[in-house]
Amino acid sequence: MNASAWNMLLEGAWTTVWISAVSIAIGVVAGLVIALIRLARIPIIDQLLVLYISVARATPLVTLALFIFLSAPDLGLDLNRSVAGILALTLNTTAFNAEIWRSAFRNFSREQSEAAMAIGMTPWVTFRRIMLPQMVITSLPGLVNEMSFLIKGSPAIAVIGIVDLTRVTNRISAVTYEPLPPILVAGALYMAIIGCLVWLQRLAERRANRLAM
Amino acid sequence: MSEANTSETAAVSIRHLSKSFDDVEVLRDVELEVKTGEVVTIIGSSGSGKSTLLRCINWLEKPDRGSIHIAGQRIGVHDDGRPMPVRELAKVRAQTGMVFQGFNLWPHLNVLHNVTEAPIHVQGKSKREAEELATALLEKVGMSQKHDSYPNTLSGGQKQRVAIARALAMQPAVMLFDEPTSALDPELVGEVLAVIKDLSAEGYTMVMVTHEMAFARAVSDQVVFLEKGLIIERADPETFFTTPKTDRVRKFLENHDTPSSA
Repeated sequence: MNASAWNMLLEGAWTTVWISAVSIAIGVVAGLVIALIRLARIPIIDQLLVLYISVARATPLVTLALFIFLSAPDLGLDLNRSVAGILALTLNTTAFNAEIWRSAFRNFSREQSEAAMAIGMTPWVTFRRIMLPQMVITSLPGLVNEMSFLIKGSPAIAVIGIVDLTRVTNRISAVTYEPLPPILVAGALYMAIIGCLVWLQRLAERRANRLAM
Repeated sequence: MSEANTSETAAVSIRHLSKSFDDVEVLRDVELEVKTGEVVTIIGSSGSGKSTLLRCINWLEKPDRGSIHIAGQRIGVHDDGRPMPVRELAKVRAQTGMVFQGFNLWPHLNVLHNVTEAPIHVQGKSKREAEELATALLEKVGMSQKHDSYPNTLSGGQKQRVAIARALAMQPAVMLFDEPTSALDPELVGEVLAVIKDLSAEGYTMVMVTHEMAFARAVSDQVVFLEKGLIIERADPETFFTTPKTDRVRKFLENHDTPSSA
């Protein structure tokens, strides 16, 4: 592989990282918001959210990306490829994250929230100061799992023409006729990206030990 | 003195309190007045409604009927029947400090921050002010050496002493103790009771549900016996433990190791 091939690989890696990172960032927060809304059990809205979660979880990423990219013009939306790709990844990961957060809410110790309410905290302060910090720690293994699934599933967005870390290996081998080296390097880069996440997870686990009372 | 006036001077004033779970009546027309500086002990067999009564005082349980005033302020609902908005409810609740059977410390915060959390994030105290207060309170409960420890490294007795300091940090008008020693190993009960006894000597207003009869006799100004949601006897501890009026209480005291002296 020559310098330009390396350059292309790094550019592909960058595309994968930033598109995934944006989707993860939105997806983690949006999932939390959905879980919060579902706690309120508002009729119709709750059913709509359940429908969204089941559809999003059941739809392959490739299908979702194609659908969003191809249907956008009909809806009068002018989506560029990156936005469509982020939208597809976000819609997918949000649904999974919403379920992770929801189970964290369900399993949260009632005794601890009672102690917070009894001392004069409003539900919002209780959520922000007592529940959320612990929910982040207990949910992080599940969330990081979902993040790595998302990154590993992200080559699906190549279907709408985004040149990500996997797609770029194709382009390189089309010139060099040597498919293995770029694929190997891409594999190593995926491992490095996901390794960072696992490292984050380990940090959280060390804190989680405290929560085991 | 009019009724409104009485509720203003009393730390806790409970009137006509009733509460049912499904179709079981757990509290029936309970009346209780706790004066400032008074220690009231609630005694009764399990299922008599004593914990529910205590949990109604800070609205962790919503009563079906009746009213509760904390330091003159009504809790939970307004006089016209409107439920209290959460912010307002939280303000009245802050007038009470509760100590739970299971300690209920927040495991993600160390000992010092368990105590400073509410003063900072509810009362808006500065961090320094809250830490000074917490330091003094942790010393009072004998936990000054443990500021940086996390709850999972503490014994039950230590956890409960931190929980007491946490409740005291809000400088509540009344402290509520819900069987504070029932979850403790026998050898750890003493250290927690000693702290509570000190508080009573300092004049704190307290309402306590407990099975520790000798302790109840030693610290209480008023003992209340609850049976099937009804207060069937109330008296000063001396009268209550030596000459109970009802057979029910006599039998109950026979089954517990009745203290021979205070």
